[in-house]
Amino acid sequence: MLTILLDKLSSLIRTVCGIALFLVAVPPALAAETLTTEEARIRLLPGDLPAAGYFTLRNTGDADVILVGVDSPAFGSVEMHRSVDRDGVASMQPVEQIELAAGEQIAFAPQGYHLMLMQRARPLAIGEEVEITLLFEDERRLTVTFQTVSPASL
Amino acid sequence: MGKWVVPVLVSLWLTGCGEQEWQTKDISGLMPPLEFTLTDEKGNTVDAESFRGEPTLLFFGFTHCPDVCPTTLARLGTAIKRLDDDTQEDMQVLFVSVDPARDDPETLKEYTDAFGPQFVGLTGDKEALDALTRRYRVTYGYGEKDDNGNYTVSHSSAVFAFNDQGEARLLIRDSDPLEAVVADLERLANDA
Repeated sequence: MLTILLDKLSSLIRTVCGIALFLVAVPPALAAETLTTEEARIRLLPGDLPAAGYFTLRNTGDADVILVGVDSPAFGSVEMHRSVDRDGVASMQPVEQIELAAGEQIAFAPQGYHLMLMQRARPLAIGEEVEITLLFEDERRLTVTFQTVSPASL
Repeated sequence: MGKWVVPVLVSLWLTGCGEQEWQTKDISGLMPPLEFTLTDEKGNTVDAESFRGEPTLLFFGFTHCPDVCPTTLARLGTAIKRLDDDTQEDMQVLFVSVDPARDDPETLKEYTDAFGPQFVGLTGDKEALDALTRRYRVTYGYGEKDDNGNYTVSHSSAVFAFNDQGEARLLIRDSDPLEAVVADLERLANDA
């Protein structure tokens, strides 16, 4: 009888543990929904010239996040950059990470933050969709579909 | 009532008479006429004389520039498309690459064609580029190469505008409203 009880107890513990594990495992997935993007687009240049990726990232969660990297199967190398204009001289600076406070948003937009997308894995045409994954410090990942647009578009 | 007379007269004088003001930065008389000897998209040596007769815009950049250069060129292209058909055809935009090591004639042609028929790619050796950038008191420079051999290039962000005689007229910045650029290009085309 005791064995049966213990058996039941252990199965109960397992169930409880399973639920607990599930609860622990789920929040990052749910939390990812608190990170959203808008207007994700790639301004494509001809040939294999580096292209620029733009989007607006919104953090609707309660916790601050840090964007630490970007990855895409369509490009051999993706970097976060920022264009700066100092006394009429334009230059680009690499950006290691960007903090985004709870409730805030940040725009990757022309002449500011942008993704520098290099070494195309395959030729890309204007109008195609490309997946790019944003990597966060807490190991969350957000895969975003970018639309490729003409370089002549503003 | 008398105190209103003078301001009203002054504003009438400003708006009604005389020539309309440029809306972007007027550099008439401050910068020398357009002069250069460079290599074009076909690999031919060309000088500024080849571009006389039409209004000409000059911008320094490089093709491995995914953000600033295309944004400036796209803005110019958008402004040009708002001009009447004949003026559109007349406009010339010279994209001078200050990165000749990577920007060969073919790359330049592909790059400028993406923005419209008015866009022409030019480049040259250090001596030719130094002469032209010094002439317009702008600078350019190269960043250190990364592990992949990529490097960034700093360049002037403004656009110089010349009338059909190659005389310097305007400095157009990305901060100028598009309407101001359109109005000034219109006027530049009629400025002989």
